[in-house]
Amino acid sequence: MLLLLVRGALAAYLLLTFQSPAVRYDSGLNAFLLENWPGAAAVTPDSYGETFIVSVDAADVPPLLGQYRLERGVLVFVPQFPLQPGVRYRATARIPGSSPISIVIDVPKAVVKATTTVERVYPSTNVLPENQLKFYIHFSAAMARGFAYDRISLLDESGKKIDAPFLELGEELWDPEGRRLTLFFDPGRIKRGLVSQQELGIVLHEGKRYTLLIDKGWKDAGGNPLAEEFRKTFTVGGPDRKAVNIKSWKIRKPVAGSRSTLTVEFPEALDHALVGRELDIVDSSGTSLRGSISIGSLEKSWTFTPEIPWKKGAYELRAGSVLADLAGNMIDRPFEIDRFERVDQVLDRSIHSISFKVD
Amino acid sequence: MATFRMTTCFVLALALLATPCFAASLTDSLKSGKAELKSAGSLAFGPDGVLFVGDSLAGAVFAIDTQDRTATQSASVEVKGLSEKIAAMLGTTADQIQINDVAVNPISKKTYVSVSRGLGPAASPVILRIDSTGKLEALSMDNVKHSSVAIPNPANSSTSGRTNPRTMAITDLAFVENQVFVAGLSNEEFSSTLRAIPFPFNQADKGTSAEIWHASHRRFETNSPIRTFLPYKVNNQDTILASYTCTPLVKFPVSSLKPGTKVMGTTIAEFGAGNTPLDMIAYSKGGKNYILMSNTSRGVMKFSADGLEKFDAITQPVADKAGVPYETISTLTGVVQMDRLDADKAVVLERTASGLDLRTVALP
Repeated sequence: MLLLLVRGALAAYLLLTFQSPAVRYDSGLNAFLLENWPGAAAVTPDSYGETFIVSVDAADVPPLLGQYRLERGVLVFVPQFPLQPGVRYRATARIPGSSPISIVIDVPKAVVKATTTVERVYPSTNVLPENQLKFYIHFSAAMARGFAYDRISLLDESGKKIDAPFLELGEELWDPEGRRLTLFFDPGRIKRGLVSQQELGIVLHEGKRYTLLIDKGWKDAGGNPLAEEFRKTFTVGGPDRKAVNIKSWKIRKPVAGSRSTLTVEFPEALDHALVGRELDIVDSSGTSLRGSISIGSLEKSWTFTPEIPWKKGAYELRAGSVLADLAGNMIDRPFEIDRFERVDQVLDRSIHSISFKVD
Repeated sequence: MATFRMTTCFVLALALLATPCFAASLTDSLKSGKAELKSAGSLAFGPDGVLFVGDSLAGAVFAIDTQDRTATQSASVEVKGLSEKIAAMLGTTADQIQINDVAVNPISKKTYVSVSRGLGPAASPVILRIDSTGKLEALSMDNVKHSSVAIPNPANSSTSGRTNPRTMAITDLAFVENQVFVAGLSNEEFSSTLRAIPFPFNQADKGTSAEIWHASHRRFETNSPIRTFLPYKVNNQDTILASYTCTPLVKFPVSSLKPGTKVMGTTIAEFGAGNTPLDMIAYSKGGKNYILMSNTSRGVMKFSADGLEKFDAITQPVADKAGVPYETISTLTGVVQMDRLDADKAVVLERTASGLDLRTVALP
């Protein structure tokens, strides 16, 4: 019995003393571990990176960004970012006097799930002015940045791609959720008299038909392609160079004591984002009413539903002066001001308003 | 974009605002803690190793103390496959990162790079620096002296509980005489504001802005978003040289930048269709002054900065390439970012068949 105990203790001692150092990846901790090496405690923190090297499995690359720590004799490396599916990583322990110990971690590629779609494109109308300024492309999920201009094209009637129709910016103009891209036509081809317009001409021509094509290879933020391509076909009318005229709007008034809707109708389609942002209802004290809004068909109306019932009295519909139509013409200020007309040198950032009464 | 614009030769006067306070050191106003950047885009160095970072996603400009204040002689830097190397360091592949800007610390001559790891709105911002040996080092944002200022963003009217989809992409930054100049492009209205924010940042004073306009051949005026700009001295007058998204290069005096006014840029050159101006740097060579501009379709262009005042507004339609004469530097192709390294050299980020390379070039 005693002999058995001694042999057992000796085996445990030998196992602890002579167990080989090992490297492994702990997916639960998202950490690489150098274990079973008593010498780890003697390594100075400055040398952790030379002793235990973790990198992408490729030649001539710097080590992964991350933090080292010594935990109960185990040298631990925690990468700053989680391991990425589809990437191979190598962790190597360089223990003095021993051959390097290396492991490769292969993170399987994620299964492709093409579920994201283009939900809608504004303007909704299929007749655009020749000097149309922009599109808003709304997606059902967050998209990857950096590929927009490779995945969007404008086709003419014969299906041929039009050269350089859009303003291409490295920054790409997304909303904070990455679900709405703002796509400007090249302003150099809209503005009159510029070299760009003379070289390539205007993009859209009155009477012609075009298709905005969004390629299904465009990836969402999860790296998956779109579920399907998207096409918006439209025809082109004449240029619109007139300022938005607030006096031409019609207000359908609500009824006092109810939470009925107030609707404003516009004679022309307005910019979807700006009409959603720049209209406001204020009471006689100048306080904005809280409530919800919706934008009507073809962006030709705006509806407001208050949180609390309307009271009898005077109200104002206020519109910020940057509110614009499809060609970027703003309230009382067209996209291009003809200098033969009077030009104000001070910006008119006033609020334009229409008064109405609720009875 | 990323130029240290307080050149020894050309210093802008204060213009938009009352004179800001002069701190004993520009880093005194910065507080230690975690710099909560949501994105890292345009970069520009101020003095004392302070790095300004445009965070378009947060709608803010950050000032970060890099503590990189050891003056060194400039040495060439060369990193082939920079995008692959950075991606590997961040544990991913080159197609999953974006390099957004490059700036050289004028004191240490180290190159700083702003990067997005990931491509969606949840991408992580990373700022790296590269020394003359090509060694990459990440700046930890966990405990760094910093401050930030939010750029005003008009909110939705009337409603509650909705996120505001309006953002302003910060397209360029420059530090000039204790002010940070910020050019931005809205994702909703087609307009341009050039904002001047006093530094040290003061939350009560987010600076003032002027709208930048463009007159096309004396007749048509439009709002004109600025893509990139360079503070410069023209005829002894402090001037902004700005390149619009609609491709003209314009100048306007800093003195015209008064709050709430409409500033009309004078067109001094037009570069034609399909060009997106990317970056501008100024330098002197052989007693003459030049400006380099990188451009998507015309490569890198060099034009003389002497006598810019002689180029009056272009007032008639022009066939092409009007105004200030320029030459295209044939040895520089695919340049997407650049910054001046010293009096004779620039650091450029070049797109090659295999990715993005960082290299040092002699100023032409």
